[in-house]
Amino acid sequence: MADVAALPGYEDATPDIVSAILEEAGKFASEVLAPLNWDGDQLGAKWTADGVTTPAGWKEAYQQFSESGWNSLAFDPTYGGQGMPGLLSAAVQEMWHSSNMAFGLCPLLTQGAVYAIESHASDELKQTYLEKMIAGTWTGTMNLTEPQAGSDLAAVRTSAEPAGDHYLIKGQKIYITYGDHDMTENTIHLVLARTPDAPAGVKGISLFIVPKFLVNADGTLGERNDARCVSIEHKLGIHASPTCVMSFGDNDGAIGYLVGEENRGLMYMFTMMNEARLAVGIEGYGIAEMAYQRALAFARDRKQGPVLLEKDSDVQGIVNHPDVRRMLMTMRSQIEAARVMAYDCAAAFDFAARHTDDEVRARFQRRGELLTPIVKGWSTEVGVDLCSLGVQIHGGMGFIEETGAAQHLRDSRITPIYEGTTGIQANDLLGRKTQYDGGKAVDELLEDMRATHEALAGSANPVAAKAKAALGDAIEMTASVSQKLVAEKNPVLAASAATDYLMMMGFTTGSWAMARIVLAADNTEDRAFGNLQCAIAGFYFDKIATHAKAHHLAIQNSASEYYELDQALL
Amino acid sequence: MTTLVIADHDNNELKPSTLSVVSAAQKVGGDVVVLVAGQNCGAVAESAAKVAGVSKVLQCDDAAYANQLAENMAPFIEGLAADYSHIMFANTASGKNIMPRVAAKLDMAGISDITEVVGADTYIRPIYAGNAMMTVQSGDSCQLITVRTTAFDPVAAEGGSASVESVGAGSVSDKVSWIGQELTKSDRPELTSASIVVSGGRGMQNGENFAMLEALAEKLNAAVGASRAAVDAGFVPNDYQVGQTGKVVAPDLYIAIGISGAIQHLAGMKDSKVIVAINKDEEAPIFQVADYGLVADLFDAVPELDAALAAG
Amino acid sequence: MKILVAVKRVLDYNVKARVNAEGTGIDLANVKMSMNPFDEIAVEEALRIKEAGKADEVIAVSMGVSQSQETIRTALAMGADRGILVETEEELQPLAVAKLLAAIAKREEPGLVIVGKQAIDDDSNQTGQMFAALMDWPQATFASEVEINGDKMKVTREVDGGLESIDVAMPALVTTDLRLNEPRYAKLPNIMKAKKKPLDTLTPAELEVDITSRLKVVKVEEPEQRKAGEIVGSVADLVDKLKNEAKVI
Ligand SMILES: Cc1cc2nc3c(=O)[nH]c(=O)nc-3n(C[C@H](O)[C@H](O)[C@H](O)COP(=O)(O)OP(=O)(O)OC[C@H]3O[C@@H](n4cnc5c(N)ncnc54)[C@H](O)[C@@H]3O)c2cc1C
Ligand SMILES: Cc1cc2nc3c(=O)[nH]c(=O)nc-3n(C[C@H](O)[C@H](O)[C@H](O)COP(=O)(O)OP(=O)(O)OC[C@H]3O[C@@H](n4cnc5c(N)ncnc54)[C@H](O)[C@@H]3O)c2cc1C
Ligand SMILES: Cc1cc2nc3c(=O)[nH]c(=O)nc-3n(C[C@H](O)[C@H](O)[C@H](O)COP(=O)(O)OP(=O)(O)OC[C@H]3O[C@@H](n4cnc5c(N)ncnc54)[C@H](O)[C@@H]3O)c2cc1C
Repeated sequence: MADVAALPGYEDATPDIVSAILEEAGKFASEVLAPLNWDGDQLGAKWTADGVTTPAGWKEAYQQFSESGWNSLAFDPTYGGQGMPGLLSAAVQEMWHSSNMAFGLCPLLTQGAVYAIESHASDELKQTYLEKMIAGTWTGTMNLTEPQAGSDLAAVRTSAEPAGDHYLIKGQKIYITYGDHDMTENTIHLVLARTPDAPAGVKGISLFIVPKFLVNADGTLGERNDARCVSIEHKLGIHASPTCVMSFGDNDGAIGYLVGEENRGLMYMFTMMNEARLAVGIEGYGIAEMAYQRALAFARDRKQGPVLLEKDSDVQGIVNHPDVRRMLMTMRSQIEAARVMAYDCAAAFDFAARHTDDEVRARFQRRGELLTPIVKGWSTEVGVDLCSLGVQIHGGMGFIEETGAAQHLRDSRITPIYEGTTGIQANDLLGRKTQYDGGKAVDELLEDMRATHEALAGSANPVAAKAKAALGDAIEMTASVSQKLVAEKNPVLAASAATDYLMMMGFTTGSWAMARIVLAADNTEDRAFGNLQCAIAGFYFDKIATHAKAHHLAIQNSASEYYELDQALL
Repeated sequence: MTTLVIADHDNNELKPSTLSVVSAAQKVGGDVVVLVAGQNCGAVAESAAKVAGVSKVLQCDDAAYANQLAENMAPFIEGLAADYSHIMFANTASGKNIMPRVAAKLDMAGISDITEVVGADTYIRPIYAGNAMMTVQSGDSCQLITVRTTAFDPVAAEGGSASVESVGAGSVSDKVSWIGQELTKSDRPELTSASIVVSGGRGMQNGENFAMLEALAEKLNAAVGASRAAVDAGFVPNDYQVGQTGKVVAPDLYIAIGISGAIQHLAGMKDSKVIVAINKDEEAPIFQVADYGLVADLFDAVPELDAALAAG
Repeated sequence: MKILVAVKRVLDYNVKARVNAEGTGIDLANVKMSMNPFDEIAVEEALRIKEAGKADEVIAVSMGVSQSQETIRTALAMGADRGILVETEEELQPLAVAKLLAAIAKREEPGLVIVGKQAIDDDSNQTGQMFAALMDWPQATFASEVEINGDKMKVTREVDGGLESIDVAMPALVTTDLRLNEPRYAKLPNIMKAKKKPLDTLTPAELEVDITSRLKVVKVEEPEQRKAGEIVGSVADLVDKLKNEAKVI
């Protein structure tokens, strides 16, 4: 954090401000958002012909959220943002998602929309929309997906007809998070659509701002735009977050304003995709953190059979069964690793945005982009598994809805799907982020991992020896497999290895994260805290880092026959 | 060594809390003098004179003391202090309001809410909502104390025959005037002195449902109390609140209904002799202090209990 | 008019207090500390009075260890205008706090001082009353409603039997009860601004206040634990036990 705070523009991110912000955000999350989580799940958002209503209490909580300024944390001060680093924002976002993921999605989507406008829209559009969106007075949505265009956005069909200073948008979007709701007076949709003569495929997609209510020249709200939510989905989880089918232009066409230039929409989307994917990665471990806290409290309380650990303690709960400890530590250690990875990623983008040296900026940009699919893909896949462990620790109670553990599992299940499925993240990691740059970003990562490896040699801490071994393996595996995949000419082989590669990279970067935790623990004055951190890291090296080897082997074994099978035989 | 006990009263009646304060004063040793300051409070002074163990009653009848305003009471007590080694008051709203003001005027420490007298200058008092007990020793020449009345068995209300002596009033403050009060009416015993208390929490769902508890209390000659959550939600008036920041009760029987048992609530009732909890959540912390726990929906259990008590 | 509010740094109310190994106090190492909840209510009330145009400045005062600064910052983040810390490592008892507060009130000359009715650590419920005595001000303790009318204030107080109202002449002291208001959450821009608001640090010596403890703490112990009882199967069972085993009804 200190390094990030030293960047120009982040002078305000001093330790006392940072800790005050974390403290107040924690208070808001636990006192306002968390109490709405269960009811939100049970009641869910409701569709009516007049619009979507959120569960009781959500509107008030959202108003409190935006009035308190939480929406504006990391945005540009020119438009009322507080200009704090993305790294701090990552820590704060975790609290929203832990306490109430269905709620946290609304600001998450607004954030995506704000970044898209901030980076690519004309000054006029920025003047009109940014201030209100940054304040959270208006929320934003991302309208990418269509029935035939999910992972493959090249198939987008929604059309945009020029009409003077604006365009008329027609088409249907599906799965639009917070596409309609009753928490704010206006909702600003960012919509991908095609202009009449646009080239086919990804190069013919443009990005438009389509407000629910048109905005008059003086900033007041004007007419209702021709954009409506026609139904909402019934889902496995995040019931309170409305997932909308949006219909644009049922009547005359929805008025939309072009962002940037025509046909560059998808490229614009990609620049902000990193932020959104990082945010979903944070959701992945944030919800697992909640599952962990719940499981831990239960495990301390629940007594079942004579315990083997801490026999004399007044806590005779199942927390003192070795196998339950294993489950708890499996949760805790991977959450910790995922958190460090997300912080690394957020800090990398902070450096990439603010550092004074071009080369340093470029290097951090590569680092952030490399880590993004790992954070998104690995943390969400692992997060789902951990939420499942959270259920398991509860025994039969875990399967019972009222316990709350089941909700976390259900809610977490969306995280590996939206903002690009794990398969898409894996393609991104292997294709764009590794093969495309000839393995440069991975090599740089390896350099840093080796530096940590050397630093460990100076530590007398017994866990440092484990760290050294695990990190050594991680470096070895990452280096060999990345080289092999960069050189791989058979796209089928590469694609079939992609997800194993992503998962392996998750576990190896995790080892690197944990190794740094050990080094930091060496230097902390608070011995009890240092020992705890070392125990968590030690568990990771003993029991979790080993998963990397399985994926590593699986990648070696990719040249198997299954993909040559006729799909009819599957 | 003589202790001055300030009587807790409403000009008509001596409050039973005073009997517990006299009991605490006796633990200190020495004579016990009771001060009755009020308006038209002759009957109170007479009751005080009959209290066992009281050697003298001082009575001051003056409009200035009609409503126990601290601004008038404090200088008056301050004026009497020189003759006493200890001054004690119940830890009631009045006691808490007046005694620190006296202490500061005398430049003395003041010790609030004692639960035990260890010696003539050493006392035990709860801190952190009763999660710890602190033993303190005072070096002050006049020790100013408020007493947790539930921690001391009251002395007998009858049996004494002290003389009543009239004393002149002190200075009167023109910076404060009393406007009025809105007291909760009830024919049943007062919360802090009732031997049975029936309390309801957020689980009661609304104010109307408290009628069920009133009916129970009627049958048990009990007082009705509540958790803060129930008071904050407006189910019942504020003076029903039991807990760290409400009233402290220690009846023979405390029945907690739809109360989870937050430490702040426990602080106000955990010294009850027998605690009964009715809660539908078997994990509710209240069961950790309850002598008898019933895991049940209160909307089934309370009417059933009511019927069982009616049947005798 | 200036309003002075006192804010105390205490063990967070969600954290269970544990007696330290030496038996001299409560273990405060590595535990979450927060503003005393009653003081949050005091800050909130002061801010509301200011927002209603009846005061110009809200000053948050804390006495204690240097970390009490954080508590003042919390008050500043809620909206107080400036802070004063009286820094000391010494243990402060209510009389000492009241004297320090009085020394500051003499410098600042506020029209109103608001403090919490009790701190949830020592549960003394004395500081406000002692301060009022030292200043010879009227005191409106355990307030559940405050209404300022010119140089007078009508206060509704929570008393044992219900509610009582009094009129006091300003300057005056108010101590807050729980239902006076619901404190706001700090707004993010205000958290950031709080850093730039002035915070003066004084010492008891500069204020010429003797803060020596008057009460000697002999020891601090865990209270006797109640042992958990039994779960009864039915209402009939319960009535039977109350009648025949506990003999309380
Ligand atoms: C609750 C919810 C909220 C959502 N919110 C939004 C939103 O606000 N805005 C928005 O625009 N969209 C949103 N979506 C849509 C979401 O982003 C898509 O569902 C997601 O991108 C997957 O697309 P799809 O559903 O069409 O699945 P498909 O693309 O059909 O994928 C099905 C499977 O095929 C795999 N697959 C597809 N293509 C490839 C490939 N090239 N290589 C390897 N594997 C492949 C996928 O990994 C997946 O396992 C939301 C979805 C849900 C369920
Ligand atoms: C939907 C459902 C249907 C059911 N149907 C039936 C039925 O028809 N008949 C029936 O009799 N029961 C039934 N059950 C009960 C089920 O068999 C128990 O829930 C299960 O055995 C777990 O017991 P528990 O819930 O008490 O969990 P616990 O025993 O409390 O276990 C909690 C956690 O502690 C761990 N743990 C406990 N003891 C140890 C130990 N010694 N060593 C290591 N770890 C330990 C467990 O692995 C678990 O992770 C059902 C439960 C559900 C949810
Ligand atoms: C500074 C401070 C001071 C405080 N002081 C006090 C104080 O003096 N006194 C006090 O009480 N609290 C106090 N509190 C509040 C305390 O922390 C708790 O919030 C409060 O005691 C909770 O009240 P409750 O048990 O009624 O509500 P909850 O904790 O919401 O519990 C309600 C209970 O009702 C049960 N229930 C619900 N429906 C039913 C049903 N149909 N049948 C059976 N059971 C049911 C539930 O299982 C639950 O256990 C204080 C808090 C702070 C911060």
